[in-house]
Amino acid sequence: MLQALDATTGAAMPHSGAALWLGLRTVRNLRKGLTWAWLDTVCQYRRSKIGPLWETINVLVMTLGIAVVSSAVIGGTMTDLIAYIGLGIIVWSAITSQIGEGTTAFVRNREYILSSNLSIDFYVARMSFRIAITFCHHLILYVLGVAFGLISLHWITLLAVPGILLLFINGFWAITLLALVCARFRDVELIVRNLLQLAFFVTPIFWDYRRVLTGREYIVDYNVLFYFIEIVRGPLLGEVPPLRIYAVVLAVTVIGYALAYLAYRRMRRNLAFFV
Amino acid sequence: MSHVRIEDVSVRIPVFEAGGLRLLRMPSFGRAKVGASNVSHAGALFVIHALSNIDLELEEGDRVCIIGHNGAGKTTLLRLVAGIYPPSSGRVEVVGKIMALLGQNLAPNPDATGYENIKLIANLYDWPKERLPEYIRDIEEFTELGEYLSLPARIYSAGMHARLSFAMATIQVPDVLLIDEGIGAGDAHFQAKARARTEEFISRAKIMIMASHASDFARTMCNKALLLANGQRVFFGDIEGGLSRYAELR
Repeated sequence: MLQALDATTGAAMPHSGAALWLGLRTVRNLRKGLTWAWLDTVCQYRRSKIGPLWETINVLVMTLGIAVVSSAVIGGTMTDLIAYIGLGIIVWSAITSQIGEGTTAFVRNREYILSSNLSIDFYVARMSFRIAITFCHHLILYVLGVAFGLISLHWITLLAVPGILLLFINGFWAITLLALVCARFRDVELIVRNLLQLAFFVTPIFWDYRRVLTGREYIVDYNVLFYFIEIVRGPLLGEVPPLRIYAVVLAVTVIGYALAYLAYRRMRRNLAFFV
Repeated sequence: MSHVRIEDVSVRIPVFEAGGLRLLRMPSFGRAKVGASNVSHAGALFVIHALSNIDLELEEGDRVCIIGHNGAGKTTLLRLVAGIYPPSSGRVEVVGKIMALLGQNLAPNPDATGYENIKLIANLYDWPKERLPEYIRDIEEFTELGEYLSLPARIYSAGMHARLSFAMATIQVPDVLLIDEGIGAGDAHFQAKARARTEEFISRAKIMIMASHASDFARTMCNKALLLANGQRVFFGDIEGGLSRYAELR
């Protein structure tokens, strides 16, 4: 029954089978998403001289600006702060792109969703990989930091690799979930964008989470985004993040994928009506 | 054996607009000359009855042209078969690989060149890598776009898009080919080539469904016609019969 639709949604399958099938299909489609994202980046370079490097320059300018203000207001030396703040902003830029742009992943591809029977994980993978490629551009700043002696290399640095993987693995469900919900409820996109602005100040990026007043640690402890920043920033600064942080990240990963799957089951069928 | 079977299918399209109810109260809506006249509302939503109780059965070798006024439900029916719209009631069964050419173009990335878009489609639709050079030569020959294939797709005219998209959609013979009106943007020379290609395609006993307003083009491409009015099936049969019924309807 409903074979054309089944091919794209797996709607007629039982829950357990469908989840597995969806997962396998998504993994198979990742390579295609990468090709698509790569071409997007190539096109970005074509239209402007340095393409996504403009965003990297933006990160650099932000880092320098905030480091100057932070060292003046909160205290500490520029050189100590700059690595902490810079790496924080680099990770933050990936998080904010995934959440902020994720809200538009399907609405932006409206024409293509309405005219082809491609499965929708292509659109998610395309966005996810494009953000990852831009993130790699930003890592040039990290390399510069190492070259200028602002950051030192350790074996611990390698721990950042699983951190970055976890960051983007979680980005994938976040984009899927937000893109589905925001295609149906357009107000959510604006709410999410508002909250993202607030989150930048609430999350320890330009201030040190270790200097929070005793009794007020909850502003860090209950901030999920902090954990994602820390699994990348910590190792790059030569600190091993406590196991508790990884436990939270893994729990969020499981819950996130469960939510995204439920949203997919509920909304995929009618997505063409929403966009 | 591929086939398309549609049994008593209705498609109701919800319109998620805050001002929807106000629109419905406007007296002029019921007198609109285009679109489905059946509009209802369920709670705060208002719903367009785009297709009502459609039955259709297609076998291999059927080349069907869907005809009807603007808003009669042609594109909705194509999207239904493609699996883009779900049926609100009834059953849709499609056996076979579907290729949908429904938008203005199949080129996914307007900033990329024609060649890059071909490679992107090759990637998305799993064309065998070893045959890609051969496919590209075929597309070059069919589209006659020459140097334009090295330029960004965004500068193409509607007709050029039609050429490239049609070539890409038919390079790997799908079991069910769905084409919307955009293809009509091609000039007479292209239409002749498209016809030749379709004949070759149909000789391999597959199904094609296209929507068109150009009756000459429909005549050359199709052997059957499905006439829709107001989301309902008015006529299904040979192409000449369908076109003359359509002429009466006007």
